[in-house]
Formats: sequence, C-alpha cells, structure tokens
Amino acid sequence: MQRYIAVRLMQGALVMFLVSVATFGMLHLIPGDPISLMIGEARISQEQIDLIRAKWGLDRPLHQQYLSWVGNMVRGEFGQSVVRVGIPVRTMIGEAAQVTITLNLIAFLISMALAIPAGIMAAVRRYSTFDYLIMVSTTIGVALPNFWVGLMLIVIFSLLLRWLPPYGLPGWQGYVLPVVVVVSSQLALLARLMRSSTLDNLGEDFVRTARAKGVAESGVVVRHVVRNALLPIVTVIGYRLAFILSGTIIVETVFALPGLGQLFIESVNRVDYQVVQAIVMILSVLVVLGNLVTDLVYGLIDPRIRIR
Amino acid sequence: MSREIDLDKILRDLSPTTRRDFLKQAALLGAGAAAIPTLIRNPMVVQAAPSTKRGGNVRVMGHQEVTSLSPDDDAPSVHWVMTTQLHNALVEGNEYNVVERVLAENYTVSRDGLQYAFKLRRGVKFHDGSEFTADDVKYTYEWYMNPANAANGALNFKSVDKVETPDKYSVAVKMKEPFAPFLLNTASTYIFSAKYHGRIGEKAYKSAPMGTGPFKLRDWRPAEFTIVDAFDGHFRGRPNIDQFRQDVVPEASVRAIALRTGTSDSATWPLLVEDNLAFETNANYVVFRTPSTGLNHFPINNKLPQLSDKRVRQAMMHAIDRQRLIDDVFRGTAIIADSIYTPAMRTWYDRGLKKYPYDQTRARALLEEAGWRMGPGNVRVREGQRLSFTCAVITGDRARRPEAELAQQDLAQVGIEMRIVERPVATILEQLPKGQLEASLFNWTYNSGALEPDPQSTLKTGGVRNFANYSNPKMDELLDRGLRETDVKQRQKTYQEVQRIFVEDVPVIYVMYWDWFNVFSKRIKGLPVKPEDGFAIYRNAYKWWIE
Repeated sequence: MQRYIAVRLMQGALVMFLVSVATFGMLHLIPGDPISLMIGEARISQEQIDLIRAKWGLDRPLHQQYLSWVGNMVRGEFGQSVVRVGIPVRTMIGEAAQVTITLNLIAFLISMALAIPAGIMAAVRRYSTFDYLIMVSTTIGVALPNFWVGLMLIVIFSLLLRWLPPYGLPGWQGYVLPVVVVVSSQLALLARLMRSSTLDNLGEDFVRTARAKGVAESGVVVRHVVRNALLPIVTVIGYRLAFILSGTIIVETVFALPGLGQLFIESVNRVDYQVVQAIVMILSVLVVLGNLVTDLVYGLIDPRIRIR
Repeated sequence: MSREIDLDKILRDLSPTTRRDFLKQAALLGAGAAAIPTLIRNPMVVQAAPSTKRGGNVRVMGHQEVTSLSPDDDAPSVHWVMTTQLHNALVEGNEYNVVERVLAENYTVSRDGLQYAFKLRRGVKFHDGSEFTADDVKYTYEWYMNPANAANGALNFKSVDKVETPDKYSVAVKMKEPFAPFLLNTASTYIFSAKYHGRIGEKAYKSAPMGTGPFKLRDWRPAEFTIVDAFDGHFRGRPNIDQFRQDVVPEASVRAIALRTGTSDSATWPLLVEDNLAFETNANYVVFRTPSTGLNHFPINNKLPQLSDKRVRQAMMHAIDRQRLIDDVFRGTAIIADSIYTPAMRTWYDRGLKKYPYDQTRARALLEEAGWRMGPGNVRVREGQRLSFTCAVITGDRARRPEAELAQQDLAQVGIEMRIVERPVATILEQLPKGQLEASLFNWTYNSGALEPDPQSTLKTGGVRNFANYSNPKMDELLDRGLRETDVKQRQKTYQEVQRIFVEDVPVIYVMYWDWFNVFSKRIKGLPVKPEDGFAIYRNAYKWWIE
C-alpha cells in the first residue's frame, strides 16, 4: 500500500515538473509584458521600461527566471506579483481560495444531497413522472449557460424582489445566488450519473439474489445497489477538483466575488506571471492528489479494487 | 441651497459660456512655461462645503481590481479614483479641464521656462497629523528623479535638474531644459510625506498610503473594494460624506443593475451603451456625457509594402463609412474623429484640418492613382502584391469586433482585403510597435492628459507606443520643438502643424471619439454642472453631500 502511494506520488512529481515547464514556457513565450500593460497610456520611454523590467528581474535569461521560481516554490514561496506589489502571492491566493472553496463546498454538498436521492429515485421509479421531471429539469440546468443564469437570478432576486445583493460579499447573502448557479450546473451531471449507474446495478445478478433471499426492496437498494452505484460518482468528484477553477470563473465574474477564478482571469489579462504560475501549480497538485485519493476511496467502497 | 448658488456662480466663471476666459486660462496653463509670471485665478479652491448636510456613505463601482494605492501606479483609472481621494498635488486638473492650485498657493515661471517657484499653502496636514512642507515636495520629486527607484512616472521629471527649498513653504524647481508639460504632468504629481514614505518605502506604501487628501484609507481588499474615511484635518475642511467606497464589479450589466437597486451610487467605468442611454432619460439619475480623449482607430503598419503609400491609407479613410460605424455599432454615442485631438481640446484642436468624408469613388481613384488595379477575387494587386492585410482585434472584444467587421465590408468594396484575427491586449501592445502585427483596432489617447497635446510616444520615430511604425523626420522635429516651446502661441502653431501632417500622412485609420458616460444616483448632491472630464468628477467627492 505504502509502496503504491509512493510510486503514485513520484509519478505526480514528474507531472508537476512537466506542468511547471509548460506553464512557465507558455507564459513567457507568448508576447506580452506586464510592465507595458501596467503603464498604459502614461508617458514612457524604452529606457524607463527597461529600468522597471530590471527592477522586477524580468530582464534575466529565462532559464534563470525559471530556476529561481522553482527554487522558491519548493520552499513554499510563490514569489511576488509585479502588479499587486508588496502582497505575497501566497496571501493573494489564500484569500481568494477561501471564497472559491466556500462557494464550491456549499454548492457541492447541496448538489450531492439533492442529486444522489434524486438519481436513485428516478432509477427505481424509471419512466415515472418523477423520473421525467428530474431528467427534463436537469437537462435544462446543464443547457443554460452559467452566465445567463447568473444574470437572470440577479434580475429576479436583486432587481425585482430586492431580496439579495446584486454583487459582492456583504455577508452570507452574497453566496446564495452564486451557489444556486453552481448547483444548477452540477446537479444535472450528478443526478444523471447516479440514475444511470443505479439502473445498471439494479439489473445485476446480486440484486436478484438479494431479492430472492427475501431482503426488503429498500434494503436491496440502499445496501446493495447504492453502494455500488456510488463508484462512478466518486470518480467524477475526483476529476471535478480540477474544474473548480474553470467552473467558477464565470460565476465569480458575474457576481463580483473575489475568488480564485477572478484572480486567475485578471492575472492572465495582466500577464502577472507569478500569480498565474502559482495558481496553475496549485491546481495541478490538487488534480494529482485528487486522483490518488479517488483511487484510494475506491478501495474503501469496493473491496475488490483494494490494493495489496 | 446657499451652496448651490455659490456653486452656480463659480461655474458661470468656468463654464463653456465664458469661453474666451476659459481659453485664456487653458492656453496659459497649457504653455506651462508661460512667458510672464502667471497667477491663475482659482475659484474652485473653496472650503469643502458649508456643513449643512453631513454624513452618509458613497459607494461607486469600478470594473477592475485596484492593485495599488500608490500615486506612481495610478495609470489605470480605477486606481486613480482612489489615489485622488488620498493625495494632493501642487496643482491639479479639474473636471472643467482647468488647473487648480491645490497645495501651491501660487507660483511663478521664469521667462525662459527654466525655473518654477511655488509658494505652498500653510497649515496643510497629512493624515498622521504632521505638517506638509517644502521638504515633502522635494522628497517626492527627487524620489521620482532617482533612477534607482525606477518609478513609472519618472519621464515627467526627466528635464528637472534640481529641487530647492529656500524656506519651509517655498519650492524652487530648476530645469535642465524647458519642458512645456511641466505644470500639467509634473507639478500635478501627488505628494508623498517625506517622513512616512521615506520610512516605510514605496513597496509598503502601495498598500498603506498616507497623503494630505480629503479621505484616509480605512480598508483595502484589492479584488473586492477600497474604503476611505473622511479626514477631519483636511485643509479644505472635512468632507461632508463620512465614507467613500469603490467596489470591483467586472460585469457591466451587473453594474447597471446595482445602480437601479440603489446598491451603488455611480459607476466609474462605463456601462453598456444601451444602459447608458436608458439612464440618461431616467429622472432618478444624473448622467454626464463627456468626450473621451481616447482615439478609436485602426493602427496600421506603415512599413508594410502594401500600406506604405499614403494614398492607400487616405483611400481607406474615404472608403470606411465612419458615421455608419458610430450609428450601427455604438448607437450614435460617438463623434467622427478628424484629428489626434478631440474638438473638446479647444486650445489645440485645429478646426481647419483636411476632412475625409465617406466617398468610395474618391477612394477607388486614389487607389488607381497609386497603381493598384482590381485583381482576382475583387482584391487589388500591384506588381504581384495583393492589397491585403490582417487586423488583430482584442480577444473577446465584443464592442469593437462588429466595428472591424463593418469596416472590413467597406474596404472590400473598394478592393482592399482586411482579414480579422483576435489577439490578447498584451500581445497587441507588445508586437504592434515592433511591426510584428499588421494592424489592430483599439482606443488610445494620443495627447498626454486633457490639456497637454504632446504625442511623442505614439507619433515619433521609434516611440514606445508608435503602433503604426510611422516615421516622418519633419514630425519628429516638430514634436521635439513642441516640448521645449515656452510660448503658447508658438506652441499652438507647432501642434497645428503636427495635426496637419497627421491628417495628410494618415499613419493610422482614425475613426471616432466615444462619448464617455458617468451615471450618478440623484441622491448625490454637489455634482458639477457641465464637466468636460468624466473621470475628474470623482476627484470632487470631498464636495459632495447626500440628500
């Protein structure tokens, strides 16, 4: 077991190295310069730009910049943003991550709490009105773009009803609408997945055996079917970690939430190397670890997959 | 009420109805080193307000993070909206495009433009209670001058030789050479506290600013909001409102909704055109429409063989129906550009410039004259070369992409092929001046500030922002001369000549100037009557009150 984890971690380290080279390379090779953007329309000369670039160490050869970045990162230092000067990148990401994690965690728990029972019910009562209702509403949820749903919710709940703030985080109220948007887009996927995998399992031999043994139908579903049906859901959750960011960029932008998604998109626009690099690296660590944990959880749920 | 009458009286002195007076003032200021020692009448420096209505908070919305609160980083407008609450300069341009004396009580300029003498206002306090003196001015200017600090604003201090402090309330600036934009671009630099900034350093200052401004920093979360509180010890009197706050709201339609719900009082960055127009007819809001100084244009690489002949570029000016672009894409909220300056820059704009009316027959004739004959696929050719180029619009630019597409159709009708691709802003700014892109479409301010005409960085050979790779020795010479000119009349002639060469050479396809909209909730009182600079309105938050 330990050996397995060690091997997987080493593979992960290799992935991280490749990601770091690719991220750094792409960011620095794509033409564009944070200094030039920062100065905007103000009066500037080339000498002046060179001086400022030197101040930030952007004039050093690329391999040197790469090595010092990796060196810092290994020590847990993400360096300094050239745009938000004086604030360590670690602090910036830490603050933004709180918002994004809160948003996603609430949305995730709600999605699971709704999707799993709904999926099971829909499968057990296949082709019932309930089943159709779930399938149609989830299809709509997945088909509507987050951007539009977000704006419509703001129009309804802020502009017309005046129940909730249109943007920002004045308190918990600020999370309500964004959570609804994220849930509406996740719910569809999870409920449909739960439904189909429950259906698959309902047709299995062990279900017939259990029923033949005289186990009550509720017991069959809960103890035998659901436990097996959860496997694909766990896989999806593991992979979804990677999409936390991409999934919330739009939501955070619409609702003006100071989360990772917004930080990421603003940093990309400003060519803020250190911040973009740090976020990409943290995400890739999450993906690597997420996959490892997913595999280990498999073992817990399904003893057949357990590793010796 | 009494205050409004006072304000009216002040405005009458400044409003465009007394244009002669205005021009006189602007001209003298624009000259910077005016020939005679000038004292500018300055009605706007008044006590903040008779404290009739005190209290309340004002909340406005920007579109981007405020990443630093240091004046050296305040090029992005959302930054400036905050730094201007916290700081003051010796002189400052106001919303009527008139320069106010703020920390300077008055000043004189020597005849040769080589010496400026400022008399400072007494009894001005920094937020920490310490007194503002000549040492602070000297410290600030020398900080910008020191190459080791690599300040963003260093270029404005390039011609300064030294800063002396004859006494506690006097500053003498000696110049290496005359620098016409001195007052507007240099003396308007916000002043640091020598003791405070010297102690904590610029890096720490960016998140902990402390100036003489009417508000002091309360809380700053770059991605969320910046909040400043009224400063009791402000030299013009404590502001009426207790708090001023700017939120970060990237989505334009959400800003519009927040204005409607009353969550916010104003948007420092414009809304969608439809929303702007809707608020304009809504009695619950005050909407200011001011001319933007940013020229909406297609910079094109003049070094490309197919675009190097000015007749081709002139033909493009005639071929594009610019009024249609304004009407169809921007709902008429723009004016046709016919110079690098807007007509609102009265001192510098030249009314008599050559115009390029929409005239495709003339465009075709110019192209024929230049030897371009209609070729296969309705694209003109000359000596085997096709009259074709690629325009890189900004990635995801929903506002200007349709503009490029309409222009593309117009150009195609006269036999010019313009392909459209998308590139990130950073890439365009980097590659265009190096000639690595063929053309683009964005807005850029060619002058340096509302009253200062200098377009060095964009039109001079090798300029950092010379997007067109334009080079004309005569232009270079004029631009150098314009910076050193001490007499405003001479300076006007110089920039007239600059504009004439510009419209003749057509280094860029200049299209329009957008109207700039600033929407305010009716709740806010003490707003200007007919401002000429939309951004500078926010500089006056210390004069506002809430009904």
